[in-house]
This record gives sequence, structure tokens and C-alpha cells, in this order.
Amino acid sequence: MASVKPNTNWAEDDIEADELPPTTETTDANGVTTIVSWKLDEQDRKVKVTRRVRRRVQTAIVSHTVAERKGWAKFGLDKGKASGPDRKTTIIGENLHFRVAPVSKAEPEATDPVAAKPSGGKAVVCRLCQGGHFTAKCPYKEQLAVIDNMNTDGADEEEEAAAAASGLAPKGAGSAGGKYVPPGQRAGGGAGESMFRSRDDLPTLRITSLSVDAEEDDVRDLFSKFGRIARVSVVRDRETRQSKGLAFVSFEEKKSGEEAIKVMNGRGYDSLILNVAWSQPRGERT
Amino acid sequence: MKPIILQGHERSLTQIVFNSEGDLLFSASKDSVVNAWFTSNGERLGTFGGIKGDGGHNGSVWTVAVDSQSRFLITGAADNCMKLWDISTGKCLFTWEFLTAVKRVQWNEDDDTILSITEQRSGQPSIIRIFKINRDEPSAQTTTPITTMTLSGSKATVALWSPLSEYILTGHESGKVAKYDVKSGEEVNYIDDAHSGEITDIQSSPDGTYFITSSKDKTARIFDSETLQEMKVYTTETPLNSACIAPLRPYVILGGGQDAMSVTTTSQRAGKFESRFWHKLFEEEVGRVKGHFGPINTLAVHPQGKAYASGAEDGFVRVHWFDEGYFRSRPFGDLEPEVEV
Repeated sequence: MASVKPNTNWAEDDIEADELPPTTETTDANGVTTIVSWKLDEQDRKVKVTRRVRRRVQTAIVSHTVAERKGWAKFGLDKGKASGPDRKTTIIGENLHFRVAPVSKAEPEATDPVAAKPSGGKAVVCRLCQGGHFTAKCPYKEQLAVIDNMNTDGADEEEEAAAAASGLAPKGAGSAGGKYVPPGQRAGGGAGESMFRSRDDLPTLRITSLSVDAEEDDVRDLFSKFGRIARVSVVRDRETRQSKGLAFVSFEEKKSGEEAIKVMNGRGYDSLILNVAWSQPRGERT
Repeated sequence: MKPIILQGHERSLTQIVFNSEGDLLFSASKDSVVNAWFTSNGERLGTFGGIKGDGGHNGSVWTVAVDSQSRFLITGAADNCMKLWDISTGKCLFTWEFLTAVKRVQWNEDDDTILSITEQRSGQPSIIRIFKINRDEPSAQTTTPITTMTLSGSKATVALWSPLSEYILTGHESGKVAKYDVKSGEEVNYIDDAHSGEITDIQSSPDGTYFITSSKDKTARIFDSETLQEMKVYTTETPLNSACIAPLRPYVILGGGQDAMSVTTTSQRAGKFESRFWHKLFEEEVGRVKGHFGPINTLAVHPQGKAYASGAEDGFVRVHWFDEGYFRSRPFGDLEPEVEV
């Protein structure tokens, strides 16, 4: 093997050119740290990642065994990795509102999205109780089925077959004429569930001319009487964390949002008149 | 409350445990790797197994247990092995081999003895074995158990040491709860119909005088460790996979959801994948925490009651540190004693 000096080896030169610049960290006067790191994406292109974070030192008094464990070297798949959470394995979730209070038992039935959903186009009539829902979902199925069997002893073959066919066929088949209908587009089937729901899915209200002193919890208290709230966010200045007097409230149901607009729009709150309207999705905003 | 989401597993979680100070969390999953995490910031300390040739498990890890000094970890897996690990280095110190999978392991109070339950399969009965652990020379362990209990009836699915480690409390597939003497291996007490379905988890109260069981029969129950007398029942609408008793506040946390096979046909919003808080004394539901998009398989609570973690079929562990409001909460107002914080 020929010995080549590292500097004259063109192959290594090439590798060096592909090497990523080191991660840099700068802290400005406001205490905001800008971290610039580089990584390669799937197509081996350089990607610059800029993160702006504010670091706050939290002090906790722990027993010496706990403090000792903090200094342990990582092992296994994490061997040799620097201290601090790895963004591949650890993420901080969205703020959850958790309040300990008695849960009313009637609530889950009332807010069941499947039951509340109006059937798409075709009128649905239950074959058992004539109610406005699918036969399979009939709440009186068991009782009525027993009575049914008693009445028509030795059930009509033809009717049985018809019932089976309509039960098995896709629910939207009536309009689509036997074509395959994806589950998400079937009547009453509901949209497919994604792992993470898009924020735009939820009926969201935009509240402007809100007092800058109002926190998330205040806004939640203000609107929680209209229905279940999925999320509340108060828009804040990036650096100072001062509220900009603008907030978004997402309800789980559209009905609660409508009610909230009716009641809260124009209402006074902390010497300001609230302006409550539907929030426009990002794309449609002008 | 901002959850810390730990994504260190490729398959569903089977058991998670906190160590006695609550600064570390160990998670076992079906992907044959056990992870150790710092609970304060979600940083992963390391993995036990995961690299070829380092002595890791070769099948779903069903169970994990940590000793009170956080020195040694015991794991049991579907590869019929039980392993002893050094927590500070992640090295496997000793491996026991059995004829069937190891479903549950636990340390006793003195850290010198462990129990293991092996699965009933291919003609082999379910066996509870008690092993002495040599702490001075951890890589020289004995493979002869000090007590062997061969179960003739329904197999044991979960087990727990009773206070002072004289007895073992077991939960069975048939719903039976039993108490075994560790020295003689005899069944000293049992309730045949404690639950009407398989018992999925058993966890002790902070002082060990009572314990909670969760079951597929949609209920969780609290029993007295001494007499096995049923004290409380929490009835839900979904099969339960795990239950734990929160120290500090009078709540129990239940987790469950339907079977893994019916998950894809259920909306996340149907609310079956939530951790549910119940009032321990009044047997009323007092709160829910959502976030998982699969049934919760395992729950663990911080030994000082400051946080709890849930591991689910979706492969994620979520660590929740309680807010100030939780510690001051009195959901039933005047009916409850004053809260001293």
C-alpha cells in the first residue's frame, strides 16, 4: 500500500469539503441563545438548523445518589453521546390542561362524534327501531332482535339475505353504484384518524382586543362554559413573552364555538371589548 | 402540564418502572430493548441490549424491575431468559434460562431476593421461583431457586412482594388473587373470584398495606395485603391494562383501552386511550389525561407522587409532572380533608 500524506490525498480533501461546520452558539443581550447546527438530509444536502432558545437555570436539591447518577456516562445505543436530551428520542409535548374535578358520566355519550355526525346525503333509518342511525348501531338491538325472532318464527330466507348484503356492502355503495369507496368517504364512516390531528381540523375562534394580562388559563375559564376546549393559545412576543392581545381557542365541537361567538363577541372583558370570530386557516387568510 | 414524550421503542411498551428516588425511569417493550431515562428532562441514559453481541434480550421484554439502590436491574423476556444488569454501565451481569417466557420479576424489600413468574406453555406449568441474589459478586449467581411454586390451577400473570417480603401476592389469569408463603411455597390465602377476567397488573400502595389490581373485566380493585379483603372497586367501560396508587394525594390512576386488534377501528376521540384518575376513597372518576393513540399498557407513578408515566401500545412513553393545581386539588370540596402542601 502506498503511503500518502493526508494533505495530498484528493479523496480525503473531498471528504473534508463535505464535512459539516461545527455547531455554534451565541447568546444575545436579551438572554436568547441562537444555536446554529448543520446536518445532512436524505439527499446528502447540507441543511442549516437555527434554533432560538431561552435558557433558564432551574435548581433542584437532590440526594447525592441522584446527583451522582446525573454524571453517569451513557451506554448502549447512546454510548458516547453528549449529555442533554437527544431530540430523536425525547420531545416535549403540547401543554395539557389537567384539572382534578369530578367527571360527569353523561358527557361521553353526548359528545360521541360518530353518533352526532349527520349521515352524508342518504337518510339512514334503523331497520329495528326506525331511528335515525345505522341498524348495527341501534341501542335497542339486542332487545328488539329477540322480539323479532319470536314474531317471525323461522325467519324469511330472502329478507335475511337482503339484510346481510346491505350490512356487508360499503355504506356509500348506494350512491357510488358498487364502486369501491374508501372508508373515509363512506357515509357515516367518518374521516380517517391521523396520528396527530391537524390544528386546522378543530373549530377555532380568534379572539382579538384581549387584555394583555389575560393568560391561557383566564381565556380557558372564559370560554370553557361553552363546551369542551381542545387547546388555548395566547399569541406572545417572541422575545419578551408579552401577550399581543390575541388568542386562539379551539373547541372540540363547532356548536360550542358558534355559541361562544354569539355570547362573547362584543362583551367587555378587563375594560376592553372582545372581538370573537372564526379563525381563518393559514392559507385563506388575506 | 407539559408531557415529556419518550420515543425510544419501536414496538409497544410492556412495563415501565421508576426507581426509588424517581429520577430514573426504565421502560421495557416488545422490541427486546430496555431503556433507562432521566425523568426530569427525558434524556435517555442508555439502553440495555439493542446492540448485537452485548448480551441483550432476543425477544419481547415482558417485565423489568429495579432494586431500591438503583444498582441492579432485572428483566424477563420472551426468549425464556431472565437477566441481571448493572445500571450504571448497562452491562449484562448474569442470565438465567428457563423453559418458557418470563412474565414478571420483582425485587423484595431487602434487595437480596427476587421473584420470577414463568409462562404456562407447551406442557410447562406456570412456575413462581424465588432466587437469592449475590450482590457482592453480581456475575456469580445461583441458578437454583430457594423456593419453587408450581401452580396447578390458573396461571399467575402478575405478582408482588407483601410488606416485609414474607409473602407473595399474585394475580391470576382467571381473576384469582392469592397469597403465597415465600419459605414454604404454600398458598396461604386466596380469593377465587376477585375479578371476573384476567388480572393485568398489580401495584402496591406506598406503604404496602394494600394493593391495586387491574383486570380485563373493566374494573380495578384495592385489596388489603394482610387479609386479601376487597376494599374498593373502580368500574370503568374499558378493559384495564394497568393501575397504580398515587402517593401524596387520594387518587388512583387507571389505564387501558380495547384490545390491540380493534384499535384501528376506533377513533382516538372515543376517549379510550386516556389515563384516568379516580378518587381512591369515593370511587368516582376525577380526571383524564389524553395523549396516547393506542391503549395504555402500563402505568407507573413517581415514588414521591410528583409525576406519573404511561406507556402504550403506540410505542411511546409519556412522563407527566403534576402541576401545582394537582397538589391542592379537592374535587369533592368539603367532603375531603384539608390539603396540607
